[in-house]
Parts: sequence; structure tokens; C-alpha cells
Amino acid sequence: MRNCETNTDRPDRRLGAACVNAVLVLLATAVLESGSPVARAEEPDAADKLHAQKVAITVCGTCHGPQGNSTQPKFPRLAGQNANYLAAQLKAFRSQTRGDPDAISYMWGMAAELDDDTIASLAPYYAAQKPEAGRGGDAAAIARGREIYDHGIAAEGVPACSSCHGPDAHGTQDFPRLAGQHAQYVLKQLASFQSNMRKVAIMHGVAQNLRLPEMQAVAAFLEAQP
Amino acid sequence: MSGRTFGEVSRNLTALAILAAALLAAAPRAGAVPSFARQTGMACEACHTVYPELTHFGRVFKANGYILTNVKQVRDVTGKKEELLSLAQTVPLSIMAQISYTQMKTSVPDLSSAGAPGVAQNGTAGFPQQLSLFYAGKIAPNFGAFFQLTYANDSGTIGIDNTDLRFADTTLLSNNSPLTYGISLNNNPTVQDLWNTTPAWGYPFSGSNANVSPLAGTAIDGAFAQDVAGITGYLFWNESLYAEFGGYRSAKQGQTNALTGGAGPLDGTASNVMSGLAPYGRVAYEYNVDRHSIEAGLYGAQFRLYPGAGAPLRGPLNRFNDVAEDVQYQFVGDEHQVTIAGTHIHESMTLDASFANGGAANPKDNLSTTRVWATYYYRRKIGGTVGYFSTTGSTDTSLYPATVSPPPAGGQPGVVVSANGSPDTRGWIAEVNYLPWLNVKISAQYTAYSKFNGSGTNYDGLGRSASDNNTLYLLLWFAY
Repeated sequence: MRNCETNTDRPDRRLGAACVNAVLVLLATAVLESGSPVARAEEPDAADKLHAQKVAITVCGTCHGPQGNSTQPKFPRLAGQNANYLAAQLKAFRSQTRGDPDAISYMWGMAAELDDDTIASLAPYYAAQKPEAGRGGDAAAIARGREIYDHGIAAEGVPACSSCHGPDAHGTQDFPRLAGQHAQYVLKQLASFQSNMRKVAIMHGVAQNLRLPEMQAVAAFLEAQP
Repeated sequence: MSGRTFGEVSRNLTALAILAAALLAAAPRAGAVPSFARQTGMACEACHTVYPELTHFGRVFKANGYILTNVKQVRDVTGKKEELLSLAQTVPLSIMAQISYTQMKTSVPDLSSAGAPGVAQNGTAGFPQQLSLFYAGKIAPNFGAFFQLTYANDSGTIGIDNTDLRFADTTLLSNNSPLTYGISLNNNPTVQDLWNTTPAWGYPFSGSNANVSPLAGTAIDGAFAQDVAGITGYLFWNESLYAEFGGYRSAKQGQTNALTGGAGPLDGTASNVMSGLAPYGRVAYEYNVDRHSIEAGLYGAQFRLYPGAGAPLRGPLNRFNDVAEDVQYQFVGDEHQVTIAGTHIHESMTLDASFANGGAANPKDNLSTTRVWATYYYRRKIGGTVGYFSTTGSTDTSLYPATVSPPPAGGQPGVVVSANGSPDTRGWIAEVNYLPWLNVKISAQYTAYSKFNGSGTNYDGLGRSASDNNTLYLLLWFAY
């Protein structure tokens, strides 16, 4: 880990496969925002589910779409998102530990008074929604994005995104689904990881060597995934 | 009013009413309310492109009754989880100030001395032009308020300003689409509207109160602001289709019954008293995709007025039928915000009362107002607006008179009259704005008239040109 950090700070940004592996090891331990513990959501009862559905559609839905398929790229798509990741994010907003600009402007307020039960109900609501297909984009950018997503950029110390987010970008229980996500949102998050406004050690490590065209390519690829 | 006969007063009632409408329409419309930000915990940008223009989220927040809250509450619930009380621990109060400076291209006559008329000082400092206190936020679980008290430098008093009290709730239809329904109690037709195309919150968002206002304005264009009480019910389906219907009735401020001295009932000493309820209706459709929002709609009202002001509240009425269309396009990006909007209001007047008493030369008149504007902001920091406005209508030498009645002490001054009886006024308005912070706006606005009260040149018969009323308006506007 130490070596990786040292290497990634070098101007030539050469990082060997060893460090890619080390980064992958990190994934097992440094996943969530600012060390927030993973909260395994309790199974919500029927009343909780109904409440979550109403909150999701009438409050969250104004930005994120009633079923979480936001049409505005400023607001991430939440349909099909992994419940544990969502719950962790809501708690990170609530505790104001996720600090990208839109999180501060919107979600710190929105999540301030969310209780654990509501979070535990909202997260599976979105996880259960059917994600709509994202938009396609420039074929060359998508192809380049797929290359980076599948294999990383060894020369720049960028590991394969697929190693955590899965070969189909559907994520896992704790790693977010990225398939179909708005490219503009993905780009902004990568920029926030890079600047450390959104402090996630592993993603800072991944993003800090990414150049803008590479981020754009990955974002375009992800948005085009089903 | 003492010393003048009822007949003298009533002849120009309609003209006065319309002049009042124009003045009110030109008065500042202001509604930037940081207490909403405190209540929701969200930055201004959630609800506003730049205040007071609303984003889609802001419109939904308003339709939902200003009740979305993310602050700690003092609660009371029953054993069945029924909420009896939900009081924010932070009171949703805000203050707002407008400090302005107005310079006209040509000043107006000074009537202080009948013997030696001079010219009024040009360059008016408004310090403040307006100072407002708001209660804006949730009152109860489904009940919210936008309540504004304003000190204005022209009246030198504190008075009630825009007020909108709402009960609202949202239900899910069988197809999971949200249906918001609500009731608004308000004191200004269109103050409850969700789009910044309608008069109460339309452009210009602020204007000088130390310049010359044109004679004519339609009734729905602010003529009855803070002078009526309205109750309207609305439905907002899927955050896109909006329908509203309701009615307004006179609710005079500072008016007392001549017999009892009480706040009512209204009698003939009051002017322009509504007969019955004035119906108001509104439909609109908004489509949102990506960062674009497009809206098109219709709104309208019918006002039936007794002239009053010394005449008993009976007999013929003046009727104002207003029908308007509005459109809005918004692009709300992180870097760039663009708005293109406009409205066209058409008014048909049936002036039975004014025609009978000589206040109008025609039994029927028409008046149309068109306003379109385009706004651009870069990072919500610096931006500007360019707008076009036009009012055209029937020539009516009594409604838009050539002389001020009664003549002022200094003789006929022109300026606020129409030599040819035409209400036509048009021109351009341009402003640049800088916001060092999102709740502080510094503006420079210029209004240029190509036609004023019927003519481009010598519109008052005393040599004044429309462009003499061009106005430079500098404004510091902040809210906290």
C-alpha cells in the first residue's frame, strides 16, 4: 500500500502489476465512505416498505425518478443499485462524510433526518427496481472505456474496474452498480475521488492517475451498459 | 377625496384602477427565502436557478406545500402513529433587503410650486427600497406557508406582501405515478403558480419604484396583488400535468366600513370591489428530460368590479376577462443555466360601469400584454437577461386620458397621461447580475421604451418622448 501510494505520486506514474494487486487487496478493507461500517439492512416489514415506496416516489423521485431511473444526469440512477451500498451512502450523507459538491448541496440536507429504519427500507426499494437501459455514445470512446474497465491501465497504475464492480458493472453487495449510470454523474464522481472531495481511499488511488479522456471513455462505456 | 363629487371620482375609476395595476405590476416582486434552505438542508440551487426563478425541484417543493423538512422536529404522535404536531426546532424566518438607485433619462416636472414649475431631482436612492420579513416553511405536517411582510420606501409603511398558505399531500396512483393535490389560500392571483412565467413571479423579478410606469396593465397582471383573498385547489400529476381552479374575493387592507368602523363589510367607500367570486383557472404541462425542462400552459381569470369609491355597490359592473398563455424552457446545468420564457395576456374589458359614468369612452376595450425574456447564468455567479415587453390595446380617451384629473397644483404635467388615448407601450429591458454568494445579487438593469402610453414621441402632448422614461436601475438584493 505504501509503495503504491509512493509510486502513484511519481511523475512518470509507472505502476507495476504488483501494485494493481495490492490495490485489489485494499478493496477488501477500504470500501465505504470514510470508514462507515457496512450496515446490513434489516428486512423491512410491509408498512416500512409502503412508507419507503412513498418516500422514494414523492420525495427522492423528484430528482432520481419515481423508480430510480433518473432522467437528469445531475442525479444518479438508483434503480437496481445494491442495497448495502445505497444504505452506506445514505448514512455517509447523514453523517456528512461524503463530501462531493452535489452531496453537500443536496444530500446532506435530504439525509439529515433519515432514520435507520427508513434507510433500511429505501435501499432495498431501489435495489428491487428495474434499471432502464442507459444511453449509448461514441463507439470509439465506449471501446476505449471497455478496455480500461476490463483491464485497467497498467502503465498508469489504474486497476481494472471490473475487479470490484464486476464484469457486467452490476457491482456486488458492497460495490456499486455502475451499468447504465449517467456518464456525467460518473465523471463528476471520478473527479471528486481524484480531488478527494469524496474521500474514498481506494477510489482516490484508482482515479488519481486517470486522465480526463480516460474518465470520459469509462463513463461513456458504463452508461451504455445494460 | 373630500370636496370632489362622486361623479368626478367615478369617471376616472377605471383609469385609476388600471394605473394602479400598472404601478403594482411594476412594483418589486421578491421572493428569495433562505428559510427554505434551512428547512430542507439543501442549497439554493436545488430550488432555484438563481433566485427567485424556480427549478423543477423548486416547483415540486412549492406544490407540496413548502413542507419538505430535514431539520429536527418537536413531535406529538398518537399510539397509532398519527402525527398531531411536527414543529421545526428552527423557526423558518428570513429577511430580505433591496437597496436601489434609479436614474431616469429625463427627469419629471416638479409640481411643488404652481408659479415656477421646475424639474424633480433625477437619481433616486432607495435605502431600502424594500425590506421584508418572511415566515416561509412548514407549519404542520401537510400545511406550509409563504408569508411576507414588507416595508417599502414609497409608502413608508409596513404592509402585507405576497402570501401563500398551502395544504398539500401526495398520493400514489395505481400505476405508481404521484398525484399531488392541494389547496392554496393566497392574496395575489398567480402568486401560487409554480412557473416564473405568470405575473406574480415573472420577469422582471425586481424593478424600480422611482420611475414612470405606463398607464395600462391587465387585471391579472398584479392589479389585485394583496387586495384579494383567494382559495384555489390544484392537482399536479406525475410532476408534469398541473390543473388549478379557484376564486378570489376582495380583501381590502386598511379599509373600514363607514357605518361600523369595522374591517367590513365592504361598502361603497371602497373602490373596485369584486362582485362575488372572481374565478381563476390554470393548466400547464411540464416535460423534463436530461437537464432540460419545457413548460406550456394557460391561465386566466374573470374579474367583475363595482367601481365603488363613493358609488353604492350595485348597478353596472366592469368586467375584465383575462386569458393568457405561457411557455418556459430551462436548461439547468452545473456550469450554465439558460431560461427562455414568455407570456401573452389578452384582456377583454366590458366597461358597463365606467362607460355609464364617463370613465371609459368605449363600452368594450381590449388590452394585450406580451413579455418574453432570455436569461443566462454562468455558474450561478454572473449572468444577465434580455427581455421584450409590449402592451397594446383599444384607444380609449377616457380610460387613458390626456390630462390628469383633477389638475395638480402646478398645472398639467403630462408624463403620466396619453395624448392620443392609446395604451400602447413597448420596449426592451436588459440587466446584468453578479452573485458573489448565492443569496446576494448585484444588478444593473436598463429599461428602454420605444413607445409609451400610445406614442414614441410627444406621447403626453407636452413634448415628452417614450425614451425620456428610459431607466437605469441599480440594485443590491440579498436575503438571509
